[in-house]
Amino acid sequence: SAQTTANNPLQISGTVTSAADGQKIIGASVSLVAAKGVGAMTDPEGKFVIKIPAANQANVELLVSFMGFEKKQVKVNPGQTLVNVQLEVSSKALGELVVTALGIKKEKKALAYAVTEVRGSDFTQAREINIADGLTGKVAGVNASSTAGGPGSSSRVIIRGNGSLNGDNQPLYVVNGMPIDNTTQSSVASGNGAIGLNSDRGDGIAGINPDDIESLTVLKGGPAAALYGARASNGVILITTKKGVKQKGIGVDYNSTFTVETPAIIPDWQYEYGSGQNGQKPLSQADAINAGRLSWGAKMDGSNVIQFDGVSRPYEAQKRNIKNFYNTGTTFTNTVAVSGGNDMATYRVSLSDMNNHGLVPNQHLNKKIGAVSLAVNPAKNLSIEAYAQYNIEKAQNRSGVSDAPGNVNWGTYMLGNSIDIRSLDPGYDADGKEINWNPSGFASNPFFVINKFRNNDDRKRFIGNLSVKYNLLPNLFVRGRVNHDYINLNYTGIVPTGTAYAPKGFYQQYSTASTETNGELTVNYQGKLTRDLGITAMAGGNQRKSISDAVNLNGTDFFAPGFYDPSNVVSLSTTNVNLRQATNSLFGSVDLSFKDMLYLTVTGRNDWFSTLAPKNNNIFYPSVGASFLLSEAVKMPDFINFAKVRTSWAQVGGATPQPYGLYQSYTILSGGGHLGQPLQTPTQIPSQSGIGGSGLLQAPNPDLKPLLSTTLEAGIEARFLNNRLSADITFYSRKTTNDIMQAAISPASGYNYALLNVGEMSNKGIEVLLTGNPVKKKDFSWDVSYNMAYNKNEVLSLAEGISGLQLDVSVNSYAYIYAEKGKPYSTIKGFKVKKDAAGNTIYDKATGYEVKSELTDLGTGVSPFSAGITNNFRYKQFNLSFLIDGKFGGHVYSATNLYATRFGLSKITLPGREDGLTVNGVDTDGKPFSRTFTYGKDLQGYYDNYKNLSEKFVYDASFIKLRQVVLTYNLPVKAFAFTKLQAMSVSLVARNLLILYKNAPNIDPESTFSNSNAQGFEMFGVPRTRSYGVNLMVKL
Amino acid sequence: CDKGFEKMNINPNAAEKPNVDLLFTQSLLKGNLPYDRGYFYTSYLNCGNFIQHFATAKEIAGAGCGDKYAVNDFYQSFYFRYIYTNAITTLGEIINAAQAPENVNKLSATRIWKVLLMQRITDLYGDVPYSDAIKGRSNVFQPKYDTQADIYADMLKELDEAIKAFDNSKPTFGSADLLYNGNIAQWKKFGYSLMLRVAMRTTKVTDGKIPTKDWALKAIAGGVITEGTDNAVLRYTNGPQTYNNNPIAFELASQDYVTGAKGKNNTEWGKFSKTFIDFLKTQHDPRLGVVAVVWNNGVADTSAAIQQGMPNGTDKKGADFVTFSEPNPATILQYGSPLLLLTNAETNLLMSEVALRGWGSGDKAQLFRNGVTAALRNWALFGPAGTIAPAKIDQFVNDHPLTTTGNFDAQMNQIHSQFWAALLLDEHEAYANWRRTGYPQLTPVNYIGNATGGIIPRRFPYSQAEQGINAANYNAAISRQGPDLLTTRIWWDK
Repeated sequence: SAQTTANNPLQISGTVTSAADGQKIIGASVSLVAAKGVGAMTDPEGKFVIKIPAANQANVELLVSFMGFEKKQVKVNPGQTLVNVQLEVSSKALGELVVTALGIKKEKKALAYAVTEVRGSDFTQAREINIADGLTGKVAGVNASSTAGGPGSSSRVIIRGNGSLNGDNQPLYVVNGMPIDNTTQSSVASGNGAIGLNSDRGDGIAGINPDDIESLTVLKGGPAAALYGARASNGVILITTKKGVKQKGIGVDYNSTFTVETPAIIPDWQYEYGSGQNGQKPLSQADAINAGRLSWGAKMDGSNVIQFDGVSRPYEAQKRNIKNFYNTGTTFTNTVAVSGGNDMATYRVSLSDMNNHGLVPNQHLNKKIGAVSLAVNPAKNLSIEAYAQYNIEKAQNRSGVSDAPGNVNWGTYMLGNSIDIRSLDPGYDADGKEINWNPSGFASNPFFVINKFRNNDDRKRFIGNLSVKYNLLPNLFVRGRVNHDYINLNYTGIVPTGTAYAPKGFYQQYSTASTETNGELTVNYQGKLTRDLGITAMAGGNQRKSISDAVNLNGTDFFAPGFYDPSNVVSLSTTNVNLRQATNSLFGSVDLSFKDMLYLTVTGRNDWFSTLAPKNNNIFYPSVGASFLLSEAVKMPDFINFAKVRTSWAQVGGATPQPYGLYQSYTILSGGGHLGQPLQTPTQIPSQSGIGGSGLLQAPNPDLKPLLSTTLEAGIEARFLNNRLSADITFYSRKTTNDIMQAAISPASGYNYALLNVGEMSNKGIEVLLTGNPVKKKDFSWDVSYNMAYNKNEVLSLAEGISGLQLDVSVNSYAYIYAEKGKPYSTIKGFKVKKDAAGNTIYDKATGYEVKSELTDLGTGVSPFSAGITNNFRYKQFNLSFLIDGKFGGHVYSATNLYATRFGLSKITLPGREDGLTVNGVDTDGKPFSRTFTYGKDLQGYYDNYKNLSEKFVYDASFIKLRQVVLTYNLPVKAFAFTKLQAMSVSLVARNLLILYKNAPNIDPESTFSNSNAQGFEMFGVPRTRSYGVNLMVKL
Repeated sequence: CDKGFEKMNINPNAAEKPNVDLLFTQSLLKGNLPYDRGYFYTSYLNCGNFIQHFATAKEIAGAGCGDKYAVNDFYQSFYFRYIYTNAITTLGEIINAAQAPENVNKLSATRIWKVLLMQRITDLYGDVPYSDAIKGRSNVFQPKYDTQADIYADMLKELDEAIKAFDNSKPTFGSADLLYNGNIAQWKKFGYSLMLRVAMRTTKVTDGKIPTKDWALKAIAGGVITEGTDNAVLRYTNGPQTYNNNPIAFELASQDYVTGAKGKNNTEWGKFSKTFIDFLKTQHDPRLGVVAVVWNNGVADTSAAIQQGMPNGTDKKGADFVTFSEPNPATILQYGSPLLLLTNAETNLLMSEVALRGWGSGDKAQLFRNGVTAALRNWALFGPAGTIAPAKIDQFVNDHPLTTTGNFDAQMNQIHSQFWAALLLDEHEAYANWRRTGYPQLTPVNYIGNATGGIIPRRFPYSQAEQGINAANYNAAISRQGPDLLTTRIWWDK
């Protein structure tokens, strides 16, 4: 029969799919082993048709290959015309490409530094409102934490430790190769003085829709990010957006997630003694108000006792106050995307809507994002890619955090334990005045705040980038790119008429328009110098310009009560803040490869900064790295499938100062002056609130230069046991020198801060990624991925004579956060109980209270050790994955526990209430001392004094959490072949489901409320939530 | 590659060069018990409660720290943390920019004003940065603390030099000078009055570092303020900006005696002290109804009979809270009321003391009478509600002459009890003068958990932050001066 077919071309067809997930592979090459030049490519359906010339029709053997997969040779049986091929994911990663700096795709094996890629789909099922929060526990060396600022608040992402004393320590975020703006809108204050609108209005990364992300690549250190120069010192997170694919018709993706959120922790207060003072129940309404936040009363006995509003109610434990005040939050996210394309062009268009009703009543967040991605090849040598997105975001009544004024969480947590919080509702009287439930007007009535305060912002954002690539020669192309990130934020904050601490109210209105624009031009060459020596070279330049124009209105006192408009404000000041800065850069890189075995990379970049004086406004950043594939060079034992060692060294910069910091300038005070005389003041640090600035001065310094961050890293990667086990281990040492430090200086120097080029800080660490595939069967598989990182941070030096840099102060100066020489960054400092040499507690003779020590270290606010483990089980159509992560070795100063102690809510205040509390020790003269505090007299004062003993409220912040659980059922779409359904899944999803381990009582140790550099304070943030819900994904 | 960068780095919202006139006006407002809580925390809650002008029922841990003698870093260090950066730096900028000979009058006014503020700082804390202060632009970030003796010596020298340097042929601040509209003669009187204030603070000092008598007599000979028309008074208006308001009225009315509180819902539970009201009441002092009201069924009532102060050391807001006297909304709490910086009441009373000490040739009884008369008259600056009929003033001073037959202490008691009453609202100065003289004799409270063992504090602790950011100089100061406590006595108070 062979003879009879000899004259007819044999036609073999089939489909190429991925063995891992059954996805069709488009563009795979199918060729005939026996004859060069005979081959085909798979179409958008993964199908191929290959015609076998007559001469080769005997013993047909096909070679199927596609980048990132193992090549496969398939023998075709005589007479067989249908061949379906499954390709295994490449074990040697020979073809695996990863996105690197400037968006350049490189072979992973060639990389001389650690890079971690996370798929966009890892963020789209169990969602966080801010995608950066979703990084927690997923990437070794990335310390991502969300803040307790409520939905839509900022994240804090730190890669390989804090590198700069005062500069931004968060990574640069890059979309499709070009930077975006990640400015935090309004950092919240830790200390006193906020007027009651102390909320976090979110950061830039939160504006990216996870559904639009194809992959997210973390360039952890200087070597990986060196091409970004001055902005690379904290690492870079590269986001590659989804693009359209060539296909027949239109592909439709729909992703919908609905989750509910509830407070993760209900504090474990004492419920034996009710609201009152010195062991007494309140006897009058005045007593009741005085005791509104004091649970120092009698034993609760159910008797009728007068409360703050003059109504008598049973004296009973109110254990459900937290649940009764907070709502069950809901978040409903829907994204629909259509995509398609042909040889000429591909497109993808997506629309997304995220709607959150927070657990704080009346808090609401809506985010709508539309995105368009386009790739066009109008001519053979020309390709154009464009991406644009537009956001419309509305936030209503973001919750205040930290100090009490206007912070709903403060009163809700500190209310006397025998008062039902619902009796505070609605929080105002017939005249609209706040109803006091406690003696301090500053401790707001939570219902008054949710019903009367306003804290709203509207944000519009455009991110666009355009890339044009022209191939001059097959191996030489030029590429020009521009991007533009525009954010317009309009904020209105109202402290209303009738507020107890501000009866005539406050008004704030800020409008900020900021842009970040980059233009880049590069020339790229790829070729071979000899048969074994390959070269890739790139040279280019970048211009960056950043502009922020803000108009801030601040008003005090409304004329007509209840009408909130600037026209109705008695005292109004208007301030313009216009910030302009630019950086120009030239850069280049050369990559050499030898026999696909040894790779060498050298890069260099020179940056010029507008914010520095001309004499030292530029700096050169070099990097060099090498990667060596042991498994290519030497014959390895069978159980080792792949082995690579790599090392690299780089210098990058960063933390250039804000504009206009070099010379003293003078500002006229807004508002018309006094008695016809204008008023001028040395220019203060810009502030959104306050007349004429923040009230804080920074000593100008014309001699500033950029800081330098030098990183040396080395790593090994290996795969074992038929690629069932792999390991990637990195060691790094990163040292920051010439850090620009905004040192708090003695105000007697005339200034609050000085900018100094002196700080040195070291981060050394190890990152480990282990992945395994313990079970791999047709119906059942188990994948596990473990990542771990340890970072040792040390402040090496500060300015001469300065041993400590104060980063933050808590309310009432109870505790501080410092950077101190020889200690880890963000060290919590405060006061201990003073002991004598023999270890006896020293008491004050007059008061009988413990004497406090000098200011002393109480632990670091940054956890040095973090780890995460993801397990993924697949059984037939079901998939279960869960992430457990933890952080260890950090500390937190808990003001919630402090106040709960002062107010008698904490269980540590129980001893002594029955029979008195006797303390023994020595007095300040060293003589034996003993005193008994009795409940009816002075026990309350004794416990209240704990506020001076900060150590009592500093806790180990270590935790282990069941961070994420996703249980998915993939519908067997083949059974519904009549539909156009390509894939569909339904998942039960959960985030922050359980805290498996922690040491800090009554709080979530992750409850720091600010994303600023000073980490380690917890104080009345929006409760951390656990969320759970359903996710639906449909692909048509 | 940096074309246009220098231009880009010029702040479009600010001027590159200072305007000394505008800076001076601002420094007068800012230096003067600023409206950013400076008056409230420092003067009212602490100084004013220590010397029992006021009483605050709030807890000892919070706003009651002054009433009940506790350390409160946030409140007590506020002046230190605030005044250098907000006022002294500005004065330093003027001094740098006004070195040309034709600016001598501006320079002199600035130097005098700086002495007034520096004295306030050192009087609160003791040794403080002075010679090294406000040199942050010259990289002095951790200024050393000077001894108070050295600061006093230099302040007197500064006053002497500044006053002598005035030159009638040179320009002045003119209308930018809110105190005297550029009147050099009046600035000299103000300077000499301040010299008298500074000098007299050192009467207890025995180390011989300051020849108190010589300086006091020099000041008097130079010509101090004796007429009301020469008083150093800052005028304010009822808005529209916060800085247009009298800071005392603004702070008291926004932080404690808030609108609608009507004597009941005072934010920090503040009232006039029983000590103060009793003093006025016992002597049938016509100022009583000027300064104090009791909210009677929601109406501010000035009648003398119902005035009563709240005892210091009170820790509850009981049903009787509303019955206690508090600042009069028609005078003290008026946003447009004037602020008296240094008046003929103070100078006359100090000169009375000088005469009592046998220094110079003054008539102590007449000076006493002048001082008390001035103190009563000056309330007229607060408008109709403050005006006391001349007949009433005469009656009062006739009824309460200086008992010149009494011993020295008794006469000091009389003079400085009147000083204490006259300087109501200038709590800084009243507290310093009380510490120096011990009059009037006050009965301290001894509240549970107080930090002084039941004695009235003698100073404010330094800012706790200094321990971290200026440790060596801080430690040197306390090793010299004594522990950083409320009870440690400063140099002129030993």
